[in-house]
Amino acid sequence: MYIKKVVCISPQDTIKDNFPQTGIIEFDALQCPAIEPDYAGLIPRGLLRRMGKAIRMGVGAGLPLLTGNKDIEGIIIGTANGGLEDCIKFLNQIVKYNEGTLTPTNFVQSTPNSLGGTLALMGQNSGYNVTHVNKGLSFESALMDAQMLIEAGDAKTLLVGCIEEISTYNTNIYTMDGFLKKEALLSSELLNSETKGTINGEGATMFVVDQNGENALARIIDTGQITHPNHEDLLECLNALLRRNQLEMSDLDAVLLGYNGDQSTDHWYKQLSHSFDEGTGLYSYKNLVGDFPTVSGFALFLVLKLIELGEIPKEMILKGSNRSLGKVLIYNHHRGVQHGFILVESLA
Amino acid sequence: MEVAALKLKLKEQIIEYLNLMDLKPEDITDEEPLFGPNLGLDSIDSIELIVLLEREYGLKIKNPADGRKILVDVNHIADYIIENTKV
Repeated sequence: MYIKKVVCISPQDTIKDNFPQTGIIEFDALQCPAIEPDYAGLIPRGLLRRMGKAIRMGVGAGLPLLTGNKDIEGIIIGTANGGLEDCIKFLNQIVKYNEGTLTPTNFVQSTPNSLGGTLALMGQNSGYNVTHVNKGLSFESALMDAQMLIEAGDAKTLLVGCIEEISTYNTNIYTMDGFLKKEALLSSELLNSETKGTINGEGATMFVVDQNGENALARIIDTGQITHPNHEDLLECLNALLRRNQLEMSDLDAVLLGYNGDQSTDHWYKQLSHSFDEGTGLYSYKNLVGDFPTVSGFALFLVLKLIELGEIPKEMILKGSNRSLGKVLIYNHHRGVQHGFILVESLA
Repeated sequence: MEVAALKLKLKEQIIEYLNLMDLKPEDITDEEPLFGPNLGLDSIDSIELIVLLEREYGLKIKNPADGRKILVDVNHIADYIIENTKV
């Protein structure tokens, strides 16, 4: 499966074509809010005022791809929480108004598959439309769905993407359960912090994937996922992924690791990094955008950008390498429970 | 409550309920059609306005035909509130 086009809205200035040459933005808070584009001209005013942030970002990233590629046969979205802000508003209304008359807008925006439906309506796409709500493996599941459809010959071109938003509610919940740090710190200090928790992020990343490799940006070789593993299970999951694609560890030119500065779960990355070849470059990405369940979509966007530019921002380098980015592995886990791999190949 | 104060409050509530955040109360005149080209409200907004009247003023519009006569502009809604409540 080949990636033809990508649009990413994230806490970095990824809307600009020349990112990351525009420089890496540093954060000094517990949240990394996304930099949103000007939606005027893309989303009618009457619709825009009803959209929550997740839907807005998803439409902002997905609609230009959908309208610019009439061959797209279906829409596959991965999201853990969807438009959570509107969802909780709606649930609170049910309680506050004793299950009386409820406002339709919050309801329309409150389900995870609202984005898929909105994109289908606005882009007039009546094809396959599925949203994967699988927490930290939502994006990997969406990619796997797309790959299966394309490999089975059931689709040629698809829109695949992911969204997540920072909301008052997820910030409160994540703070209470220890997922977020208690103290604000510079994003440049995140990976070296010696405390539990991470910083919150958000964003929307959309890809046009195709069975045809002509003019493609890269190829998704395969994806892998495992839940509740121990270290041996995780390594075997990765080895199995490589084996079924006739690859070895030494074939990996670069690995993007999802270090998020949480001392209680970063050991997964450290432990697995011992298994990689000496010449394999190791790079981080969550110190650029914070952590959220579908952050691996941003990591995949980043790989495409790095392949295109051929250089890697110093902020990402954990262990440098002089190898060009041929085969790249993205490894991300969510809270040490859900672990996902995305194996990408440059076509250069 | 004076009629002018009621209309101002109503405009603030319309902006809040319909998320018309780029508008201020003074941008909405008392006789401006709510569903005309300027404000551009639609059928979902009409339900939001019905919810507004129920939650803020305890008024239920049960007959959709009544809604067409009430949700015309700020003047009509204010008159309906005054007629049906002790403001």
